[in-house]
Amino acid sequence: MSQKISLKEAERKAFRFTFQDGLWDIFISFFPLQFAIGPLLSPIMGDFWSSAIFLPVWGLAYLAIWLVRKYVVKPRIGMVKYGSARRLRLARFTLIMLLGNLAIFALGIVVYVNFTTLSGVLIAAILGLFWLIGFSMAAYFLDYPRLYFYGLLLSVSPLVGEWLYSTYGVAHHGFPVTFGFSAGVMILSGLVTFVRFLRDNPLPDTEPPIQGASNA
Amino acid sequence: MPDEQSQPDLRPLADIDQVIHAPARLMVLTYLYVVESADYVFLMRMTGLTWGNLATHLGKLEEAGYIEMEKAFKDKKPHTTIHLTKQGRRAFREYKKSMQQVLDDLPD
Repeated sequence: MSQKISLKEAERKAFRFTFQDGLWDIFISFFPLQFAIGPLLSPIMGDFWSSAIFLPVWGLAYLAIWLVRKYVVKPRIGMVKYGSARRLRLARFTLIMLLGNLAIFALGIVVYVNFTTLSGVLIAAILGLFWLIGFSMAAYFLDYPRLYFYGLLLSVSPLVGEWLYSTYGVAHHGFPVTFGFSAGVMILSGLVTFVRFLRDNPLPDTEPPIQGASNA
Repeated sequence: MPDEQSQPDLRPLADIDQVIHAPARLMVLTYLYVVESADYVFLMRMTGLTWGNLATHLGKLEEAGYIEMEKAFKDKKPHTTIHLTKQGRRAFREYKKSMQQVLDDLPD
């Protein structure tokens, strides 16, 4: 045996296996997609509706992913109930993300009120920092390393956008370009992961009878 | 004549739980130890065992009283949920402890 058996690693592997099918990558991509498409819709629909339109889009995307997970993913990976340590970790993560979102919401109000006095770069930097922290925490608590990369990608998107806007005059603060690129990376990564998942985990046959087991 | 003092005492090896000691069963128990319960498909994916192999090993673990299996039907198909019993959890802990002890005591 060349590898040490680590219970912690086994638990992590078991946890990661249940949701690393690439579908969440695709779902998360709707976040930068909103920032990429929203500004393009704004002249037609107005600021409010160009953002609000994404609420039902998010809902439909979630429903689609839920259905694919139920009918395509779960029959391939089976079912597992996590241990108490993992459940505690997830509960902590939920609480921290809730508090973090409240803090971002409060900061968003401060930025909105002082919008005219703050520079675009400063707003972009604050947004980027919060996304980086949020995604890094999610990556840590969910054992989902790709989220570190996505966090980094999203955190630089507004800054690069601002730079494109000030240097080359790219429309809408460069958001359609930078966030579109981030969304594209996430969608591509998610699709590749999903296709690999389907290839590596074909539908299993019906359970065989268990030898020596009781039929209770 | 070899010095008895310098020879490692290998007798504890004979006390190693043979039900757990088989690699396939050890894999199954390791995963069941770190989760609350899992079904057949999940264990097959995690361990890489075939249906038949997994069924055989689960049968032996159930006979030893280390796991419990709840059988049900889901979408008209048989669905088995497996979890460690208290006895199985204790046996796994003891196995881990004794293996660590035996291997630590062996000279390099």
